[in-house]
Amino acid sequence: MPSNNMKGVHNVSMASDGKGSSLSSVKSGSWRWQQMKKDKYLYILLAPAILFVFVFVYMPLPGIMVAFKDYDVFKGFWGSDWVGLEHIREVFELPMIGDAVVQTLLISTLTLLVCFPAPILLALLLNELRLKLFKRVAQTLLYLPHFLSWISVIGIAYAFYSIYGPLNDIRLWLFGADTERVMFLANQNFFIPNVLLLSLWKETGWSTVIFLASIAAVDPQLYEAAYIDGAGRFKQTIHITLPSILPTVMIMLIFQLGNLFQSNFELIYGLQNPFVNTEVISTVIYKQGIQQGAYALSTALGFIQGLIAFILTVAANFLSKKLTSSGIW
Amino acid sequence: MKITGTGFRIFTICNIVFLGLLSLLSLYPYLNTVAVAFNDGQDSMLGGITFFPRKPTFGNFATLLSDDTIIRALLISIAKVVVGTSIAMTVQFAAGFALTKKRLIGRNVLLLYFIVPMFFNGGLIPVYLLYSKLGLLNNFLVYVLPGAFAFFNVIIIRTYLYTIPVSLEESAKIDGASELTVMWRIILPLSRPIIATIALWTAVTHWNDWTTTLNFITKPSLHTLQFKLMLMIKENDMIASLVQEAAQRGEANRAGMIRVTPEAIRAAQVIVTTVPIILVYPFLQKHFINGVLIGSVKE
Repeated sequence: MPSNNMKGVHNVSMASDGKGSSLSSVKSGSWRWQQMKKDKYLYILLAPAILFVFVFVYMPLPGIMVAFKDYDVFKGFWGSDWVGLEHIREVFELPMIGDAVVQTLLISTLTLLVCFPAPILLALLLNELRLKLFKRVAQTLLYLPHFLSWISVIGIAYAFYSIYGPLNDIRLWLFGADTERVMFLANQNFFIPNVLLLSLWKETGWSTVIFLASIAAVDPQLYEAAYIDGAGRFKQTIHITLPSILPTVMIMLIFQLGNLFQSNFELIYGLQNPFVNTEVISTVIYKQGIQQGAYALSTALGFIQGLIAFILTVAANFLSKKLTSSGIW
Repeated sequence: MKITGTGFRIFTICNIVFLGLLSLLSLYPYLNTVAVAFNDGQDSMLGGITFFPRKPTFGNFATLLSDDTIIRALLISIAKVVVGTSIAMTVQFAAGFALTKKRLIGRNVLLLYFIVPMFFNGGLIPVYLLYSKLGLLNNFLVYVLPGAFAFFNVIIIRTYLYTIPVSLEESAKIDGASELTVMWRIILPLSRPIIATIALWTAVTHWNDWTTTLNFITKPSLHTLQFKLMLMIKENDMIASLVQEAAQRGEANRAGMIRVTPEAIRAAQVIVTTVPIILVYPFLQKHFINGVLIGSVKE
């Protein structure tokens, strides 16, 4: 109650302040109002966007409070009792959480190490192609998998990796007809290699687009100067192309580092089956929250994950600015 | 620039061979899935299906499409794409157009209001709880409303609109056109390329999305094609019943030989789910690259 009164007083004083100071600038105030009235159509055009962002982005934010409350569906976000860090503590007591964190970090780190450099290399190789038609066909084919959904990619993998699929056929052809056929997607040991391979297959080609654009923007005079100084194509690549695209590479890397604590839910969840039960943080959130209805616990887990992702992005941006003077802000 | 030298020539040949193989590898798993989908299910179990079906048949597709729920899922997917993309384009184009006006009072505050969400979000569960309160769970609207505004798209539209000469707009205004007339009659027709780009972009995202169904839909009548594929991959019950039905029908025809297998049905479902993407792919590639390049240009 007292706080409400305080607010009221504050508002009144604010209002009177506003009046007092605007007396001198009453002209500019009415000009603003006139301008806004004249532009009312523009505000009408913006209204749906403002509404959508408010409802679907800002309105869920108070829901984060659920992480610190004893959430009761009937009392709602505001009415439920505060429990402090109870749920945060519960998160760390979840039996599968340690494993999920380790798996998340392991998969993200390996994906970063394998899938981040791959498109840069591929872009450099594509850039060396002089046959225009071949280059265009190659790009068309390499970009294709990006446009399929992750679940379709997994469906394709089920055909390709199947006991009677081409991969097993090749193994039989290489190692003899009595080789045992392997179910690659129903084996825990193949899980991480599968995640990496499918990520590489789907995204490497498409990720070259941004690097190719960056390579195309390099000033040709630099290459000519290097050529005159006796640098071959390889040396030109090392000393001109790579340093020139470094800002782009760093920006992409910052985005990736911010994602280190996230994982590709669609891929991991899609690949889980009775034989493969690796859990990552996002699958734990889904299973605990949506399937089990442990709202407070999974909100707390999601909150921790979001916080770490934010800190990682800020830290990566800071480091990148220090080292290469390029960042995303 | 002239480049010579044996070393470089060897590299060029190796490069062409390597990239050629890589491109083939990019396409081949899909081709193999097509072959399996059109091949006799029992025959596929002998192995050795590579590029073409060995015993061509439409049986797998016939079995798959005899299931009414698949047809319904297809319709839901199409509705999701059409309605979702229309709403998103209307909202985003209107906002992008309004935000090009530098004189707009409160423009910077609005930009901040739109940018902040790029860094913060409530997370899955707060969103779930909000949707349940708004009545969006098990509601078709959950497919088309939440994704309607993406600030990234608005920035791209705005960047494009800046390239349209201001003089066009000014001369129309001298002739007495209002702001809305200018947008409708001049800016909109000139923006066709960027609208096509972002509409395709949004349509593909809508078509490929299945986690919305996973998170917010439990009613089978609202399942999409992608979600059906997920069910076929993760849950064997559905596929088993399809095969069983086919077997019962097959008994009358082919003396007890079950021709369709779960693997073949699954492959057919992958094809049904991806075929729209493959059909529009030639347009997609061009427009997506344009979009990425406009988007990556810093303001």
